[in-house]
Amino acid sequence: MEPLDQDLDASELELPTEPMLLNVGPAHPAMHGTVRIVMELSGEVIERCDVQVGYLHRGFEKMCERGNWTQVFPYADRLNYVSPMLNNVGFSLACEKLLGVTVPERCQWYRMILGEMARISDHLTCDGAMAMELGAFTPFLWMIKCREMVWEVMEEETGARMTHSFGRIGGMAAPPTDGFKDHVRAVVAHIMQVLGEVERLLLGNRIFLDRLENVGVISAEDAISLGWTGPCLRAAGVPYDVRKAHPYMKYGEVDFDVPVGTNSDSFDRFMVRIAEMRQSARIIEQCLERMPDSGPVNVDDPRIILPPKNEVYNTIEGTIQHFKIVMEGVKLPAGEVYGYTEAGNGEFGFYLVSDGSGTPYRVRIRPPCFLVTAGLERVITGQMMADVVPSFGSLNMIGGECDR
Amino acid sequence: MPSFKLDDKEIPFEPGDTIIRAAHRAGVDVPHYCWHPGLSVAANCRMCLVELMPPPGRPAMMLDVLSWDDLHQTYLPQKKPKLQPACQQAAADGMVVKSQTSEHAVRARSAVQELLLLNHPVDCPICDQAGECRLQDYWLEHQASKKRMRDEPVHKPKGVVFGPTIVYDAERCIMCTRCVRVSAELAKDPVLSMRERGNLNEITVAPGRQLDHNYTLMTEYVCPVGALTSSDFRFKARVWFLRSARTTCVGCATGCSSFTDFDPRNQHVYRYRPRENMAVNKYWMCDEGMLDYQRIHQNRVLEPRLKGEDVSDAAALARAAEIIQASAPQKTAILLSAQHSNEDNLALLDLGRAIGALQIFYTGRPPGKGDDILMSEDKNPNRAGVLALSGGRAKPLADLAAALKEGKIGALIALGSAIENPNQAAALSGSAQIVALSSHHGPIADAAAVVLPASSWAEADGTFVNRLGLYQESDRAIVPQGHSRPAFRWVQELAKRLGLALPWSKAAELRALSQAPATPSPSVAPPAASSPPSASPPGGE
Repeated sequence: MEPLDQDLDASELELPTEPMLLNVGPAHPAMHGTVRIVMELSGEVIERCDVQVGYLHRGFEKMCERGNWTQVFPYADRLNYVSPMLNNVGFSLACEKLLGVTVPERCQWYRMILGEMARISDHLTCDGAMAMELGAFTPFLWMIKCREMVWEVMEEETGARMTHSFGRIGGMAAPPTDGFKDHVRAVVAHIMQVLGEVERLLLGNRIFLDRLENVGVISAEDAISLGWTGPCLRAAGVPYDVRKAHPYMKYGEVDFDVPVGTNSDSFDRFMVRIAEMRQSARIIEQCLERMPDSGPVNVDDPRIILPPKNEVYNTIEGTIQHFKIVMEGVKLPAGEVYGYTEAGNGEFGFYLVSDGSGTPYRVRIRPPCFLVTAGLERVITGQMMADVVPSFGSLNMIGGECDR
Repeated sequence: MPSFKLDDKEIPFEPGDTIIRAAHRAGVDVPHYCWHPGLSVAANCRMCLVELMPPPGRPAMMLDVLSWDDLHQTYLPQKKPKLQPACQQAAADGMVVKSQTSEHAVRARSAVQELLLLNHPVDCPICDQAGECRLQDYWLEHQASKKRMRDEPVHKPKGVVFGPTIVYDAERCIMCTRCVRVSAELAKDPVLSMRERGNLNEITVAPGRQLDHNYTLMTEYVCPVGALTSSDFRFKARVWFLRSARTTCVGCATGCSSFTDFDPRNQHVYRYRPRENMAVNKYWMCDEGMLDYQRIHQNRVLEPRLKGEDVSDAAALARAAEIIQASAPQKTAILLSAQHSNEDNLALLDLGRAIGALQIFYTGRPPGKGDDILMSEDKNPNRAGVLALSGGRAKPLADLAAALKEGKIGALIALGSAIENPNQAAALSGSAQIVALSSHHGPIADAAAVVLPASSWAEADGTFVNRLGLYQESDRAIVPQGHSRPAFRWVQELAKRLGLALPWSKAAELRALSQAPATPSPSVAPPAASSPPSASPPGGE
């Protein structure tokens, strides 16, 4: 980066006409997810800017090539760490697509419920943080408290608040707990109530509206050409949602709408997320209705699913099954597959290449917010410096997912 | 060439081939336990059952069976084709064989696998075979179902000591008799056999005998399950942590192709395994060779030494250069080693040439036990290579002893650790100053003024010429231990100190020079192995 201070004579200081270079991040509280923006300012207007990502690069894709397929789940957790369950489910579905197996119905409903809960947690975080960054601290606290309730459900089900590692190829690590449905219903009802209160607090607030409306606008054509998906694309008026366009699991069987925006500004992105949480609640309610209370969660295939422990300890067949799956890994047939789902930030894809062994040959991740962040430069150029924070916040860049 | 059809693949065969042998040669696996390409056919495991389609216009051979009918909840009479073991069935031109595509064969294999696991103990966590066990592999490939038997399994003797090298576990045994056949056919010592019938089957050693021929570890090697374990390897390592290097056994002049299995985490070698080489050892190795890996970690010189004291590399090299410079070239001699690779020996020869040393000697390990199967009495892997490199100018140890006695030698640059005649060790400790490139402690290192620690064969790529005159490459397995370096690297360092130029600078160049005579002549066959290896081991006909 160029030097910021320049040796100027006192006489030249009267009317500085040189543009000012300003660096924000990567370690800056507003740059959540460690991103760096170098801006060239004319007064307070951003003339040019350069968005630099990669500060959270941890080499996930390469690390995946060391263990076996099941050992990718902990890495998947740490992609979009605000909605890890969606990543878990997405990776499971990609592997199952290559294996050609379908998990039992109960598991599909279970995955949908947990996934939509994770989506709510993702959107709560994004919208709450946006409000906070504009000075509205109360909605942030309320929404994060709601997110905590979602995570309590997750903890009850998986044992971990954030990094669940709960998905498995061919099923889930454990069946739903006994109180699962009641717990989810109570939490979702509470979140819907809080959402109403948040709207009442914010949507009549002049400051909040002025800071978001007609700020950070991007055209639908630009958004599509950048490869945007998810809430940011839908805010531009394009109703693309993988759950509707290419239904997976039981999304084809539940009723829900795809909310879209009209102005494609930061406010629309905020509102699309609010509306999507309501749709998620609808989906969850239908899933809870239809999820059977008993029945298998995992596919009945000893080549994929670990045997129960009493069989491992007491029969040689169980021991061998355990040994083969743990030591060599589930063997995916040689070939390649692209599995894609709608995650918190849009189309989340896993492109897997298997050589037929238990170890991934290649795991390529398509992180939705990498492509969305690529558009940040276009979104903020020409804006006031102060609008960078809410505009950036509305794109919901998650470092773990973007940089991998 | 005649051919038959296996599943959807056309398999060519030679007259006399069985189905499984022709398929094996074509790279198609028909599952099997008891068949081994180097042993006779037993056809007792029934894992290789295949369905033979009848010739056109002829009815299939069908058997009457009772099979369970889910609809009627009872056994009903049915017909089923008679399956044949692929290991015993001779191939015929135009034959149509179904293996994986026959539902009957698939079901039969699943049943065989289930039967073999019926009384199998839950031993994988403590079994050395786990990770390379046929029972595990075939369970996944051919059975993949849970245990149905509810009864207590039959218990049989465990941890039976068969001899100094082998421990037997009857519960794990599937009675394929491969070990029985190895003893009888390879080692020509039918010391193992089977006793009892059915569930009580077990392998036993002949009364009054131990399993102690020269090829006992081959019984463990061919065992497809964990029934026979090597008391040397037992509980030492888990095979999934081990990596393999393609090496040549340096235990004797036969130069069997082998795998060196080592743990990359601690750079420790745990075992050898034979590597198929039809020109030399077919599928086998002798016990002495199999256990020869132990020398890699035993009795090693790992630090440079001056008069028995450990010193730095630089100090040792400086002293070595001093000794060589102090001696007149005509009073400087080099001692090659039939233990070391062509690379090491050629490097030393080149150094000798650069110095102007004219006296060249060679030695190696003393001779030992041989047989007419694989073992050579000459325990040096590279005698033929040393003689070929020196153009026959290298003189034996007795001449060196004489020259030392007469005071013809002022400085001796010696490669290797052992000498062929241990009685002549005293002759080394004469007036001559010895610079030794030794991997192990021994007479040469003991007598030397300066010892530079050389790497063993497992720590460097090398070329060895066996008694048949075959140039065989051996790959590096582990990194050089301690402060050791490959001997040719020390030679390079010495040449640098002495200000001499060698005709090569990179290991690859040296290797190319070491392998230069592409067509070895049989005349380089050493006297110790003069009896031609009539001795072709059985198998691989």
